[in-house]
Amino acid sequence: MNRDQWLATCVIFLGGLGTWLLLPHKHGKIKARLTQGCGAALSILALLLLSAFYTSPGPFLPNVFFWVFATSAVGSGILTITSRNPVYSALWFASVVLSTSGLFLLAGASFLAAGTIIVYAGAIIVTFLFVIMLAQSEGQALYDRMARAPGAATLSGFALLWAVFYALLMVRSPGGDFKPVVPRLTSASEFVKPTLPGNFKNSGPVLPGSGPAFVLASAIRPTALLADDRAPAPKKSVPHVAALGATLFTDHLIAVEVAGTLLFIALVGAISMATPRTPIRPVDREAISAGDPAQARALANMTN
Amino acid sequence: MISLAVLVPLFPLLGALVAAIGGKWLKGLSHWPVIVGIGAAFFVSLLLYNSVDRLGDSRVVIFNWIDAGDLHVPFQFRIDGLTTMMLTMVTFVATLVAIFASGYMHGDPAYPRFFALVGLFVFSMTGLVLSNNYVLTYAFWEGVGVCSYLLVGFWHAKPAAAAAAKKAFLVNRVGDFGFAIAIFWMWTIFGHSLSYDDVLNERTLETIPHGTRLGIALLLFWAATAKSAQIPLYVWLPDAMEGPTPVSALIHAATMVTAGVYLIARSSLLFVTVPGAQATIAVVGCLTALLAALIALTQTDLKRVMAYSTVSQLGYMFMALGAGVGSVAKFAVVAAMFHLFTHAFFKALLFLASGSVMHAMGGVIDMRRFRGLRHRLPYTHLTFLCGGLALSGIPITAGFFSKDEILAALNMAAHEAPRVGIPGWIYGLVYWTALFTALLTAFYTGRAYFWTFWGPERLPGPDDPEATPSETQVQSSTVAHHVSTELPSADAQAAHGISEEPVAHADDHGHGDHDSHFGQESPPIMWVPLAILAGFALLAGLAFGPTGIFEKHLVRTPGFEEMGGHAVAHAFDWASVLLGSAAGVLGLGLAYLFYASPSPLPARIAANLGGLYRASLNKFYIDEFYDATVVRFTWLAAAISRAVDEYVVHNLVLSVAWLPRFVGRRVLGPLQNGLMQYYAAATALGVACLLLILLLF
Amino acid sequence: MFPFDLLANYLIVGAALMAIGMVGFLARRNLIVMFLSAEMMLQGVAVTLVGFGRFHGNWTGQVFTIIILTVAASEAAIALALVLVLFKRRSSLDVSLWNDLREPGLPLSVENPDEAEAPEIVPGPESYPHLTVAGIEPPHPRQPWERPRD
Repeated sequence: MNRDQWLATCVIFLGGLGTWLLLPHKHGKIKARLTQGCGAALSILALLLLSAFYTSPGPFLPNVFFWVFATSAVGSGILTITSRNPVYSALWFASVVLSTSGLFLLAGASFLAAGTIIVYAGAIIVTFLFVIMLAQSEGQALYDRMARAPGAATLSGFALLWAVFYALLMVRSPGGDFKPVVPRLTSASEFVKPTLPGNFKNSGPVLPGSGPAFVLASAIRPTALLADDRAPAPKKSVPHVAALGATLFTDHLIAVEVAGTLLFIALVGAISMATPRTPIRPVDREAISAGDPAQARALANMTN
Repeated sequence: MISLAVLVPLFPLLGALVAAIGGKWLKGLSHWPVIVGIGAAFFVSLLLYNSVDRLGDSRVVIFNWIDAGDLHVPFQFRIDGLTTMMLTMVTFVATLVAIFASGYMHGDPAYPRFFALVGLFVFSMTGLVLSNNYVLTYAFWEGVGVCSYLLVGFWHAKPAAAAAAKKAFLVNRVGDFGFAIAIFWMWTIFGHSLSYDDVLNERTLETIPHGTRLGIALLLFWAATAKSAQIPLYVWLPDAMEGPTPVSALIHAATMVTAGVYLIARSSLLFVTVPGAQATIAVVGCLTALLAALIALTQTDLKRVMAYSTVSQLGYMFMALGAGVGSVAKFAVVAAMFHLFTHAFFKALLFLASGSVMHAMGGVIDMRRFRGLRHRLPYTHLTFLCGGLALSGIPITAGFFSKDEILAALNMAAHEAPRVGIPGWIYGLVYWTALFTALLTAFYTGRAYFWTFWGPERLPGPDDPEATPSETQVQSSTVAHHVSTELPSADAQAAHGISEEPVAHADDHGHGDHDSHFGQESPPIMWVPLAILAGFALLAGLAFGPTGIFEKHLVRTPGFEEMGGHAVAHAFDWASVLLGSAAGVLGLGLAYLFYASPSPLPARIAANLGGLYRASLNKFYIDEFYDATVVRFTWLAAAISRAVDEYVVHNLVLSVAWLPRFVGRRVLGPLQNGLMQYYAAATALGVACLLLILLLF
Repeated sequence: MFPFDLLANYLIVGAALMAIGMVGFLARRNLIVMFLSAEMMLQGVAVTLVGFGRFHGNWTGQVFTIIILTVAASEAAIALALVLVLFKRRSSLDVSLWNDLREPGLPLSVENPDEAEAPEIVPGPESYPHLTVAGIEPPHPRQPWERPRD
């Protein structure tokens, strides 16, 4: 194992240990402040060490933004799962979503960043409402202070993380510079030309319109290509959202339609599931408030 | 014409299937398909018989049965003199027996089953004699065994019948074992062919070492001893009386016991080449004949007398087969088959007549319970008389000719044997023993006849312990067992004598109204077959024997004509004829003297020969001997096996079953705690492990 | 330009989010928190996909993420409806109550809150902060750990 792998192992071990210490006790025992402090310290240490793996994305400002967003995403994630109070969990999850939106922005997915915030903000607000409505009506619940096998969960989760890390470092370490398997097509104009892209020229006699080029041509259409910095000026001027819309409604039209249908079905399903079969009439409500337990039970059965 | 051969087994099989499947609707008419089927088979057999006389022998392949590696067994039929003779005889007798049974079994609750089994029985036997290779013969041989098991145990609710069926089957298995070994051996040495054409071929046989031939011959004879009830495996046959009487007739006359004789006769080309085996056969047959005749002298069960008589007559046939040494071979085989042929008629007749008596006596077959039935049962009486005369070998009856041929063959063999290295005195001894047996045969036949039909009339009472309360004769005779158990005692009887008033009977008390359902002559459907058989019993010998029809037909079997080298002229052996006839007449005369009317003579003789008498009455304690040796030993082995199975294998199996149950209950079961997160954790851990293994190794 | 090293940044963050979400899903017992953890796993995947899309220079990663968003929204709707139904049945968000699929005859898990040992009641970070009482106190019974800290 080289230095990177040792470091990765170290990060994951520390992070796992910290998360385990921060998670609620298995039998609902209250953890000492020292334990929690240790967990927090170890997690922060792991987060800081993790930043050693980040490659600087460029000048100072993007660099700082990336570091802040990445650390905030992971840290908020840890806090989401360790908070005893589901309200806090929901809030920390909102932080995760915001951070990932920032990462999206840095990766040039501005529409997605906005979309994520909009969609998840709605979802989070709904969740928040749920939490307040259901869980908090009787105060903090016992089961929020009890974790289910925190050791095993941490072990399996972080073992998986370690495996992914290991794979990533294995890919990255040997040459230092990894070339994608499918060569990057720099521009649509280059692609639609009958001549093959430069990278394919050395890969043997390839007839026009057949072989990898053919596959590529049928798989990736011009609209699917991301605008590139090096592309000529008119290409660069295509607005971001317009280009995404173009690929969505040309290359992935059916997927979009199916997704819309799915959303509609989910809407119908959620409503049919959540609404009680027989609405509670004011008369019944009076009966319940009058303290008729039998009828209240019957009503409860009926509404379920 | 030749392909008609397939119809012979097919018709009874179809009849059996119709009776078995349609029995539910046919009910009391179930005998029709079977009778028609067997009758049609008889008709086809006659055509085949005729065709062999005109066209000679032939083969017909029905289909390719076994085709595995080196083993090629076609489902091939063979039509030649021996086969057609057997076919005609079997189907003819079986037809008459089936007709008789339709009256005899009337009202039995399992009427359709009975006829289905009879059809199957005839199917198996015809297939056996038709098949052209040992494997097919073996298959039908087993089929015959199964059918006999099912038919002997037809009244399976009766313990004695179930035991008899089991005994018949098991004893036959012992013989089948020998047959199987013989087949394996033959397959090995006869160039992987088991066809009769390849095995029974003089050129092939010459190439086989003498020891091998002797071994195979003895193994085949071993098989025959079981099927054809010879020493030491004859014990099942007398017990097979527990089946319905028509079944007994079928087994004894046509289908079952003749199979062994047929097998030896079929393989006679092989047997002729090994005189040692022939001498063994002759001696065993002779001993069987004598022993069975001695036992038959004292049996009081009419059917059992007949059963021992069958064993004895089969011994005769084997004596004749064994006499086939050197140039006598052809004559001996013809004699044996001729005796088989005539014996089928008169033995079927005697059994059916016994059945008729039993029918009239309401299921009672113990001869001490009835006497003087000749006026009550006139047809039965006359037909029984015909059968008895034939069995005794009284001149011009069927038995006379066949028995004398056997005696002549033995006489010739005594002269011929030294030429092939067998001491002549063996056959001499066999010859004289056979003559003595002929005397005994006549005597016990006469005893049965006179005791049953002569003397003062007496019928068993309605409340006789042996009698069945209803018309359905679910109880056949178990008398012989009961004699030694229920009745006072065999010893006391022996001292007292059995002639005049054998046992003080319950039927002699008060109400003498014997004209109940007893004592009436059987209906025509029963006595007409008897009459036909009686005609054959009297005349078949005269018609087929001296005229040479039988011999001419039989030698149309391939190889028979030239068997034993040069043919010898049929010499009518006057000495044997005279001696044999004299023995028959003398035996019958003695029986008349002793039993025609109550006489103190038999009692006195029995008292004087106390030990011998007791031994004969108890069948020479052969069953007890087997019980003490073979059966006990088998029981011991079975007990050990059972103990091993129960304590060792059982626990082993249990522990094998225990392991997964333990793992499931104690280890894996608690994992299924219904908590979804555990399942998810297991999945995640599994993915992580897989990924790590993939990356690290 | 978006070399592999930059992609690795996104992959690391995505993997970390995914793993943490999985830990939360496995360890927490509150249905809503589990649901949030599952959403977090989806976020990790989304980050990874966006990174890959940028790396390969096409929109596919983002389109995929949009589809994931849609599925996540559907999932949120259905899951919350189910949570609502479940809560109506048992008046609790504890996922351990729903263990009817366990092996027949198997006793309930000891982590069942009813059978668990009583928690050691000490004031700790789990307690709510003490707020000045305003208005009338609601009539619900107060849990011991909800008592104001000394």
